[in-house]
Amino acid sequence: MSKPNRFIPYLREDRLPHIFCLGCGNGSIMNAFLAGMEKAEMDFENIAMVSGIGCSSRIPGYVKCDSLHSTHGRALSFATGLKVSNPDLDVVVFTGDGDCASIGGNHLIHAARRNINLTVICINNNIYGMTGGQISPTSPKGSFGTTAPYGTEDNPFNLAELVATAGATYSARWTTSHIENVVTSIKTALKNPGFSFVEVVSQCPTYYGRKNKLRTPTAMAVTLKVNSVLKSKAQNMSPKALEGKIVVGEFANKSKAEFTDNIEKLVQAKSGGKKVINSAFEAEL
Amino acid sequence: MIYIDEDYCKGCHICLYMCYKNVYAISKEANKKGVQLPYVNFEDRCTKCGVCEIVCPDQAITVDIDPNWWIENNEYENFNPNMTMQ
Repeated sequence: MSKPNRFIPYLREDRLPHIFCLGCGNGSIMNAFLAGMEKAEMDFENIAMVSGIGCSSRIPGYVKCDSLHSTHGRALSFATGLKVSNPDLDVVVFTGDGDCASIGGNHLIHAARRNINLTVICINNNIYGMTGGQISPTSPKGSFGTTAPYGTEDNPFNLAELVATAGATYSARWTTSHIENVVTSIKTALKNPGFSFVEVVSQCPTYYGRKNKLRTPTAMAVTLKVNSVLKSKAQNMSPKALEGKIVVGEFANKSKAEFTDNIEKLVQAKSGGKKVINSAFEAEL
Repeated sequence: MIYIDEDYCKGCHICLYMCYKNVYAISKEANKKGVQLPYVNFEDRCTKCGVCEIVCPDQAITVDIDPNWWIENNEYENFNPNMTMQ
């Protein structure tokens, strides 16, 4: 009678329903990635997903493709090795904010500086969700957590602008309430030859919402939608008016020389077109 | 048609907020899992945009979208531009 869901053919059905909390944004972003992949007309068999440790890093366990679950904060290092050894693969990295901004911050900056052809989807839920609600580098000023019972006084990290400044060719930030823009951004990021970074601000009703009086998923989604300002509008606003707002939009979209192409050119120039290691798909290894 | 899978839905009610046309409503009685399921209240309002399908975190909602929905007359009904890879 009923039609199967559009995304079920891409997922490991024996593991569903997944273990994400009620109202968590990770499931929506997984759907948005699959929809963006369909729109970009990518080959699903050729995609490899890499993740670190955290709530969001459980996503590759539910998708029916090659995946690598690596150590905490080092997802981008593993992905760099995978991409350099086999440049034919389309490597997609799923990281959280604790994985990407705090412990793996230098890996993120240097992957952006090298401009290696990876697609990084950073799910930013403003808190360390898996370990019990500690304050993370991207928590907004004045928000409460387990380690900040009187509200944090630190200024948050601005990940999308950091990556754009570090030299990435594509960088964007959206929230889960702008789900169609997330799909379009992921499509552009997958097609872009170079380092592409999509930051999605997500809701965490279980820990962030409970500490900040936003207990229901709907209240968190409304807050994300109301507090977001488009980048073109934010350019004319004063810094005082922008306090506590989420600036959404595309922060970089340009073209530059890519890391694996440079290595290919170097190998061609120095060893006469004979590579030491060919692609893993060739049988003569 | 819109189908809601009772086994997958956890009852977060994000579909009620994200739907632009307010198609959904909350049922009064909980099912055996204790979840107050959403149900389709105003199906004639639905424009089949597919936002609820993408935003549902538990893959519970299915919207029956015709693959050639943008062709007004059915002269080219065999024409499928392969918009989705399935």
